[in-house]
Amino acid sequence: MNGADLVMKVLEQHGVDSIFGYPGGAIMPIYDAIYHSPIKHYLCRHEQGGAFSAIGYARSSGKVGVCLATSGPGATNLITSLADAMLDSVPMVAITGQVPQAVMGTDAFQEIDVLGLSLSVTKHSVLVEDIQQLEATLHEAFRIAQSGRPGPVLVDIPKNIQVAEVSAALHEVQRHTTNDLETVEPHTLTQARQLIAAAKQPIAYIGGGVHMADAIAELQQFLTASSMPSVTTLKAMGSVAKDDPYYLGMLGMHGTQAANLAVQQCDLLICLGARFDDRVTGKLDTFAAGAKVIHIDIDPAEINKLRQPDCAMLGDMKQILPAISTATACQPWLEHCQQLKQQHGWRYDHPGERIYAPLLLKQLSERMPDNSVVCCDVGQHQMWVAQHMRFDHPRNHLSSGGLGTMGFGLPAAIGAKLARPHDTVLAVSGDGSFMMNVQELGTIKRFRLPVKIVIIDNQRLGMVKQWQQLFFNERYSETDLSDNPDFVALAAAFAIPGHRISRKDEVADALEAMFTWQGPYLLHVCIDEKDNVWPLVPPGAANEQMITEHSS
Amino acid sequence: MNHVLTIQTRNQAVVLERLLQVTRYRGFQLAGLEMKPLAEHAGLLIILSVVTDKPIHLLTNQLNKLVDVEQLELASETLTALRA
Ligand SMILES: Cc1ncc(C[n+]2csc(CCOP(=O)(O)OP(=O)(O)O)c2C)c(N)n1
Repeated sequence: MNGADLVMKVLEQHGVDSIFGYPGGAIMPIYDAIYHSPIKHYLCRHEQGGAFSAIGYARSSGKVGVCLATSGPGATNLITSLADAMLDSVPMVAITGQVPQAVMGTDAFQEIDVLGLSLSVTKHSVLVEDIQQLEATLHEAFRIAQSGRPGPVLVDIPKNIQVAEVSAALHEVQRHTTNDLETVEPHTLTQARQLIAAAKQPIAYIGGGVHMADAIAELQQFLTASSMPSVTTLKAMGSVAKDDPYYLGMLGMHGTQAANLAVQQCDLLICLGARFDDRVTGKLDTFAAGAKVIHIDIDPAEINKLRQPDCAMLGDMKQILPAISTATACQPWLEHCQQLKQQHGWRYDHPGERIYAPLLLKQLSERMPDNSVVCCDVGQHQMWVAQHMRFDHPRNHLSSGGLGTMGFGLPAAIGAKLARPHDTVLAVSGDGSFMMNVQELGTIKRFRLPVKIVIIDNQRLGMVKQWQQLFFNERYSETDLSDNPDFVALAAAFAIPGHRISRKDEVADALEAMFTWQGPYLLHVCIDEKDNVWPLVPPGAANEQMITEHSS
Repeated sequence: MNHVLTIQTRNQAVVLERLLQVTRYRGFQLAGLEMKPLAEHAGLLIILSVVTDKPIHLLTNQLNKLVDVEQLELASETLTALRA
């Protein structure tokens, strides 16, 4: 067996069934091993797309995503996706080929110092320098990608190591449990329970760390036992039971008014696997300024990074949540929050024939089958999806949160469809974002992946245009996309049928046609370029200073 | 504040770059650096001095997360104490 065969065997040992990549000179021995491997390789059409598919696979399933690229340009094309996985804590293993060790450091053809490039975009990265280390390095990569706060790990393998002979006896995979997590001191748990019991206006601020700890059931039990309003970050949407009367929606820059107002008024903020990101907090020192804070996370570096907690717990959310459950006494506050929710509910009455994206997305949400996965791109449509669609698990809503990477949606949907072939998978894109990884239509065509693509087309880089309108005195610099291609014809070139709509009365039939069609489908939805996302917390403002459509 | 971090790492060629990258990115100014290999390729001993107005846990917590960092000890003295 050579090093390349070993790579494929170790992937098999870790239960990997699908990998995403693109071949090239320095990774050819591994592609030769793929030729005989039972693991299915999905050829992407750009390494960034392949790695986003690995992310979509990982985020929709909870498993590790695996992607491959050759040295030099293949490896540099991975960087954006690695950064995306890093900022959204996605478990991923990226394998890159490297030029042979004999020529490393000589500016050899397609040689780039990918280890150096990887430092700020990976949780860990390794250059394999000896065939004897290869097996252990790969096992360690899987362990690191999944343990603690998950993240991407890059393994760079020089070509001579891929072809070097190695003993065929493989070690067994060590199954790692979460037992090595710190346990929280009993007195800290007591302190947390006391804070919760004493709070008059508590609120749960829920982040992606909850579902990544597989603690959705524990969260929902906690919210039942310790009755309190809750808000979620973009990554945590779908964590709270759909029928929870005190769930106020997403908070932050484009959050609901109820969520932002309630958080600003609370006297106890229970931060669960979230990180006080600036898109969430607005002006940091005004964020929930009167509140005591309980912060629970698995990453020690998040505690006291941006907000000093009154009570901090490091460890496994699954164990901590039941241990801090306690009855609350905050009925008037619950009623107040429910009132905020009613008072500031979404309105879908929109004049005229033109399609109103929030209403369309609400209809889409109501029409899509249970357990559908929605993969978003970045911009106004992304915020509308978060505001107007309902999810029953965070694995069903994949959105590039921390990095906010345009081009995420389509390839992520490919990965999600492969991870969950029996669930409906949608990519909701903007006309700008769609074009950033449009080549992945080729991947959909080749594997006949029945992904449903919805393009919300405002002929603009809408989110940037909105900021130009509001904060740059209507100087619309380079945000006009009115010369977009014909998206339906473009899809047809990849054997994907599609349909274009621009009026409200066309929506219901168009959705029906898309969902009843067995294969991939593209729905091109034309909207008014003037539509904006509301409410909005202006940059530098406190979260209660939201502007709404009518106040702007 | 002046802080001296004594760090023991695994023997990885890239480890020094990692420490320096995190220190720079997190906004801490490097004031001194000493490095020596531990016996028998057991790893490296790195002594990093930084000057900063920020709480030092913002750096040490991040450095501790690096897979190659095995041990980290912190000694801090205020500048005024140093001058005295
Ligand atoms: C790779 C990348 N480049 C630039 C940006 C900055 N950006 C954020 S939103 C946006 C406009 C997105 O336009 P579109 O996809 O059409 O969505 P819309 O806002 O119109 O719904 C841009 C350019 C980004 N987030 N990602």
